Amino acid sequence: MKRIIFITLLIMLLLTSSLAFAADKVEVQFWHAMGGWRIELLQEMANDFMALHPDINVDVQYTGSYGDTINKLNVAIQSNVAPHIVQGYDIATQMLIDGEIAVPMQDLIDADPEFDIGTFMPQVLNYYRVNGKLYCMPFNSSNAVMFYNRTLFEKAGLDPNKPPKTYKELYEYSKMLTTKDDKGNVEQAGVCWNLHCWFFEEFMAKQNAALVDNNNGRTGRPTKAIFNSDAGLKVFNMWNDLSKDGYMINTKVHDWTGSRNLFISQKVAMLITSTSDVALMVKSAEENDFELGSAFMPIPADAETGGVVIGGGSLWIVAGKPEEETKAAWEFVKFMAESAQQIKWHTGTGYFPVRKDAVEDLLAKGYYSESPHNLTTIMQLLLSTQNYNSNGAIIGAFAEVRNAVESNVQKMLNGDMTPEEALAAAEKDCTDAIREYEGL
Amino acid sequence: MKKWTPYFLLVPTFIIIVLFIYIPAGFSLRTSLYRVLPFGRGMQFIAFRNFIRLFSDVDYIYSVKFTIVYVVITVSITILLSFLIATQLIKKVPGVRLFRTLIFAPYAVSPAIAGALWTFMLNPVVGHISYFFQRTFGIQVEWLTSKPHAFYAIVFASVWKILPFDMIFYIASIQNVPGEMLESAKIEGAGVMQRTWKIIFPLVSPITFYLVIMNIVVTMFSSFAIIDVMTKGGPGQFTTNMIYRMYLDGFYFQKQGVASAQSIILIAVMIVVTLIYFKFGERHVHYQ
Amino acid sequence: MKISTKKKTDVIFTEIILIIMSFIFVLPLILAVTMSLQPAKSVFSFPPKFFPTGFHWQNYLVAFRTVPFVRLLLNSTIVAIMVTVGKLITGTLAGYAFANFKFFGKNFGFSFLFATLFLPAELIMIVPLFSIMAKFGWVNTYWALTIPFMASATNTFILRQHFLMIPKELEDSARIDGAGPMAYFIKILLPLSKSMIGGVSIINFIYAWNFYLWPLIITMEDRMKTVQVGVKMLIDAEGASNWGVIMAGTVSAVIPTLLVFFILQPLFVKSLTRSGIKG
Repeated sequence: MKRIIFITLLIMLLLTSSLAFAADKVEVQFWHAMGGWRIELLQEMANDFMALHPDINVDVQYTGSYGDTINKLNVAIQSNVAPHIVQGYDIATQMLIDGEIAVPMQDLIDADPEFDIGTFMPQVLNYYRVNGKLYCMPFNSSNAVMFYNRTLFEKAGLDPNKPPKTYKELYEYSKMLTTKDDKGNVEQAGVCWNLHCWFFEEFMAKQNAALVDNNNGRTGRPTKAIFNSDAGLKVFNMWNDLSKDGYMINTKVHDWTGSRNLFISQKVAMLITSTSDVALMVKSAEENDFELGSAFMPIPADAETGGVVIGGGSLWIVAGKPEEETKAAWEFVKFMAESAQQIKWHTGTGYFPVRKDAVEDLLAKGYYSESPHNLTTIMQLLLSTQNYNSNGAIIGAFAEVRNAVESNVQKMLNGDMTPEEALAAAEKDCTDAIREYEGL
Repeated sequence: MKKWTPYFLLVPTFIIIVLFIYIPAGFSLRTSLYRVLPFGRGMQFIAFRNFIRLFSDVDYIYSVKFTIVYVVITVSITILLSFLIATQLIKKVPGVRLFRTLIFAPYAVSPAIAGALWTFMLNPVVGHISYFFQRTFGIQVEWLTSKPHAFYAIVFASVWKILPFDMIFYIASIQNVPGEMLESAKIEGAGVMQRTWKIIFPLVSPITFYLVIMNIVVTMFSSFAIIDVMTKGGPGQFTTNMIYRMYLDGFYFQKQGVASAQSIILIAVMIVVTLIYFKFGERHVHYQ
Repeated sequence: MKISTKKKTDVIFTEIILIIMSFIFVLPLILAVTMSLQPAKSVFSFPPKFFPTGFHWQNYLVAFRTVPFVRLLLNSTIVAIMVTVGKLITGTLAGYAFANFKFFGKNFGFSFLFATLFLPAELIMIVPLFSIMAKFGWVNTYWALTIPFMASATNTFILRQHFLMIPKELEDSARIDGAGPMAYFIKILLPLSKSMIGGVSIINFIYAWNFYLWPLIITMEDRMKTVQVGVKMLIDAEGASNWGVIMAGTVSAVIPTLLVFFILQPLFVKSLTRSGIKG
């Protein structure tokens, strides 16, 4: 008899718990491009969210690189199986807006009185605001920064407390830091950054120079590229001089790993890379017995002071879903944008926290005194002049624009073109790409 | 009833290719006449403008020429080398089964990973191959970022990847060459080279015939992965062939209409090449 | 005794060539294995290492923890086997039709099939193919991963070539004995083509095993992904990845195919005593 009661109770327990499971959970699908250990981190953050919202189930999916994710989104949208939230990368912003696939984040913010957009860093918001409207929620933002090997500086007779600030200093320092063997092969070079248009964009923004017309595409749709300017030429000349004299090592296109590799194995003394590399650099310097230094990106001595441009990605909420799913997606996005999550994400990855209060918290905890390089990166961002140039360009055909610049830079570095020719050719190719995209 | 046998035999194949290849391809190719807006939001009919733009694009013309050079060189090297290696791999020597597996390894690795591994080894300063070159020859080469080395690197990686494919078929078919023929040739005083090139090679020509066209197709259509990882079509579009160009336009730049136009041109080229190949090639094939 | 010395030098000569060639071909994989056994800080070092110093197997643990590799290996195996079997069936039947029969529309049919070689799925038809999968309700299923790839112009062509090499007398004598075309196919033709079928099976298996783009797009859950997608998951393109872990994933993805090859070799390499080739 006891056994029957026990079994009945057990069955009832199972039934009620399965009823609890069967209770309607709102499903939210989230596609992202963060590979490696970040997959676990994102899943953890999603789990934290789901613990607070037991009625929502967030399905976190890694969907390839940034490019792969956009592709998959493209296919899915055209067959009506899109996710609720997708991580889009910075240069896809205009294209995502043009595709009219998203619920503009601004609409959701305006409808939600609890949400205070004022706590977010204007530098980050300004990138993602197009025509005054915020279409997506900034999530993983980064800049370019320069790391340098203080130990190698000392060895070469340079003062490690005085990193190069101008292009001239960059050149001079690189010359002193380069060592070659008796056959003329480079054993150690001065500087390196991987061949990526992003660095060109950052160099330009730091000189307060625009890439395209209509105020970098922010006050109107861009119709042509305008970077064949004094500022542009200074960048190309600097790049070319460093390269042809052998003071810089050039990697292949987008070879982040290669350039990091060179710096970590102390084959280059200065590395310009993404701020999201801070943790890696700190650890590597320790493991390889050299002292790490960090500095702002250099600008030409006579240039106007500009700022750095935001890179990375943001979260987009896809339109066309049932209202309660969109609401749930908004809750998740809000959660990921909260200070606690931003701090967790920042310390786990190296991307900036995109909010002022997060920075304040970290400061109060003494984080920046323990982490001087993170201080460098955040200071470079905070000290950036805010204008259309440092807000970054908004171009629908950005991917093609980047490819055109990189291609012509390569031709210049190979000696096929002079810097003037390469700059002009790049500008023309970019203008063509823009016109094709805009249907001109 | 017997008359219908061949048709029945072909039913499974044809259902699949019509449903899953020709119909989707038809839709895709149709977009070559359109300008497709981002995320398929809309399509504007522009007739042949995509094609006209392509034919007046210097870079596109270059990619066509480069494709021809790249394919001819890669396929020739692959066929000859795989044949020679296969002749050695059918011998009963110690460890041959292991050798076959090792030489086969490239085929088992996906192009993206293969490209990544070669990239590490070819890093101009810290790469293994560069280190070897520096120590033995004292030269420092920028394998992936300078001309013409980028071309050699791509060809090498492509041959490396495709060769095992050919090798398997050569192994399988060389074994079908009648032993008596070779024995009698040996008795008549024919040396190894003669036996290889005058007897074995002609007798496996049906397979060679197939492998050449297959290699052309494979080099054309799967090279984009290797190029993407190793050189990204550089330096300065030097190693951009038609397929990589198409990949860039379709996947990176999201220009569906333009990519479709390019695929039509590519298909047209392949059809022409194949027709010529079948007409003149089959004459040289020796069937028993 | 002159014969045995010549034979010995032959063998040594062959061995040397094979060792050199094997080394060149397997070089990148040696590197992959080496990197997979290094802790993060020594993955890149100068001078570059070729052989592992140390045995940091934890990379494999991390790889298998970050990505559900066991499940993905299972998926890839299922997909690869299904695709191979499908391609073999359609390929042998179609190859037989084109090699041994004369029928109306034969040339057109052959060209129609052959032309599919010029229509690579992954590059030009992802959007409409995905649409069709959505309409069939096959998104995120094994069907979507396998059925569109079950026809094979490659297999058909190879097998056709092979069937053409088989003397016609065999077919004639079978017919005289009263065997119908399917009986001839199953009882005589297929057994004679074992080596070719073995060869194409391996090619098909690995081709399916290496799918990356299509599985990435058509799967919507981790549990349906295939192993190549899994390896990609370990790589963070912009961020700093642990290449030791990535290589551990790569090696795990490659080993099964090499095993398959090693085991299936006897299928397409006949025992040499029978065919008598000594070159």
